[in-house]
Amino acid sequence: MAMPLIHIENIVKKFGPFIALNGVSLDVRAGEVHALLGDNGAGKSTLIKVLAGVHQPTSGKIFIEGKEMHFRSPRDASDAGIGTVYQDLAINPLMSVTRNFFMGRELKGPFGTLRMDEMNQIAHDEMLKIGIDFSDPTQAVGTMSGGQRQTLAIARAIYFGAKVLILDEPTSALGQKQQMGVLKTMMRVRARGDIAIIFITHNEIHSQLVADRFTFLALGEVIGSGSKDDLEHDEIRRLMAGGVDIGDLAKEIDQVMAEASV
Amino acid sequence: MATNTGRSESDRMQQETGFQRLVRRPESGAFSVMVVIIIALMIGSNGQAFNALGLKNNIAIIAQFGIIATGAAMLMIAGEFDLSIGSMIGFAGMSMAMMLKWGLPFGFGEATPFMAFAVTLCMTLFLGWLIGTIVVRSGLSSFIVTLAFLFFLRGVTEVAYRLINKSTQISGLQDFKETSWFAELLGGEVFGWFYDLWFMLGGNLNRREEQWVTGFDARFLWWLVIAGVAYFVLSRTQLGNWIYATGDNRDAARANGVPVNRVKIGLFMFTAFCATMFAACQVFDTNTSDAAKGNLMELNAIAIAVVGGTLMTGGFGSILGVVFGAITFGLVANAVFFIPWLDGSWYRVFVGAVLLAAVFANERIRKRITGGI
Repeated sequence: MAMPLIHIENIVKKFGPFIALNGVSLDVRAGEVHALLGDNGAGKSTLIKVLAGVHQPTSGKIFIEGKEMHFRSPRDASDAGIGTVYQDLAINPLMSVTRNFFMGRELKGPFGTLRMDEMNQIAHDEMLKIGIDFSDPTQAVGTMSGGQRQTLAIARAIYFGAKVLILDEPTSALGQKQQMGVLKTMMRVRARGDIAIIFITHNEIHSQLVADRFTFLALGEVIGSGSKDDLEHDEIRRLMAGGVDIGDLAKEIDQVMAEASV
Repeated sequence: MATNTGRSESDRMQQETGFQRLVRRPESGAFSVMVVIIIALMIGSNGQAFNALGLKNNIAIIAQFGIIATGAAMLMIAGEFDLSIGSMIGFAGMSMAMMLKWGLPFGFGEATPFMAFAVTLCMTLFLGWLIGTIVVRSGLSSFIVTLAFLFFLRGVTEVAYRLINKSTQISGLQDFKETSWFAELLGGEVFGWFYDLWFMLGGNLNRREEQWVTGFDARFLWWLVIAGVAYFVLSRTQLGNWIYATGDNRDAARANGVPVNRVKIGLFMFTAFCATMFAACQVFDTNTSDAAKGNLMELNAIAIAVVGGTLMTGGFGSILGVVFGAITFGLVANAVFFIPWLDGSWYRVFVGAVLLAAVFANERIRKRITGGI
């Protein structure tokens, strides 16, 4: 089997006495969507921040294409090819699509001038590749829908060299149709075959629609993992709830209701 | 069920006609107010406001407003205020006039106009750097930090005058324009060809039928240069993109690698530079200076920037709008000289009313761009 694009080994992250991650390991291959699931507080956010270079792990190793990496800053991580699309997307609503696309990495001509036509063209083409035909790249981002903004952020990360794309709950704040749009965008990126996608989500249906593999986190540890074929629907649901059976939960709820009616 | 699957998200943006786009530009409000004022002044003054001398005098004050409003607008687009502009003008004027009269500090001998300007610019740029550094390092509101410098610099100016000069005014400096090309560059006349042409075409005559006015004040040129550079930087350069990004959402800008602190500090230095140019043109033009110079100019500058379409919250603004705003404010401030029965305090009534209207108009623009959030 092909070498994983990103290989994470036994990552431990402590904040003082608090153990946020207790030995997490993960492999993601190119052209694969790897869903990272878990309840609130499971350690998903901490793991992303370690991968994005925001936090340094207490111990453990990160390999990209077989080479061990040490990220001291978010810039190190993005230079190594890790593109993180956060929930707030790091987008400026008053600025145009193009100006956002190239923010901080503008194409310069002589005297620091912007190669605006070229930048407009690239922004348009890159967004078209993953599914949005944007007729006017000078339009302000504030007028775009949430799904379109998500696409902009993803297209930007890919254009600037992301080999590992981390999507932090990209469907969470969107309406039904836009969620599907973002999932389609992910599948187009997957079809390129050279990018590994880490998909963080709360939504088991979304994860089942697009993911090839799953890793479940609970209380800072991996409690289960496997490919799409290995896992049963109920098993996914059980693991997502942190290993609690939904049946157990129903019993507990009945119990509370019984107590309340006494 | 009726479905309409051929449509996509981007089809929901209503197509605008060219005229609608023009009307919705941020500077359109400032432009219409300017046109109204020009027509009203033309009628009210029987054309005197725009005869040869009237035009020169109006452009003089418009250029003054324009220079500092450009600095204020650039800084506001990056999300900060500078209330120290007026005091910086007083400080810079004092510094230059004092060196011209009493020589360079620490006994370095007589000051040429160039040396007086250069030493002063070093000091004001340092002050701009200091203000910017305090703002970005402390995370305090620039409103309060620059308010402190408003008092501090005005006080330092007055104290320095009394200590060294025994009076808060300097007048009767020699006319350096006659001996120094540099003083001529800042305080002399420019665009003489415009008035020559006017004279050749049969206008621009005084009572003895000779050529009346020979040129505009040099600050007209400096205003055009500063506004032109600001326009170019904002619309066409990487730095311009950084300035917009810094004012719109600082965290997003930083996450994408924009050096937001350096952008802000640089712009505080730019407002200090604009204030210094304002003061230098004044000192070399009139050969006088006094401690009250530039009083309230910071507020005029901010008002002009807002009327020109700059958002109070940062991230958006137009240098062209600031040009229209400066013309409007300059004409109204000067109107009293051309319309004898007019009470000069109407200027402030006008500023207040226009400012309020502009803030509402800008808020509408912002809501439209951000989709009503």
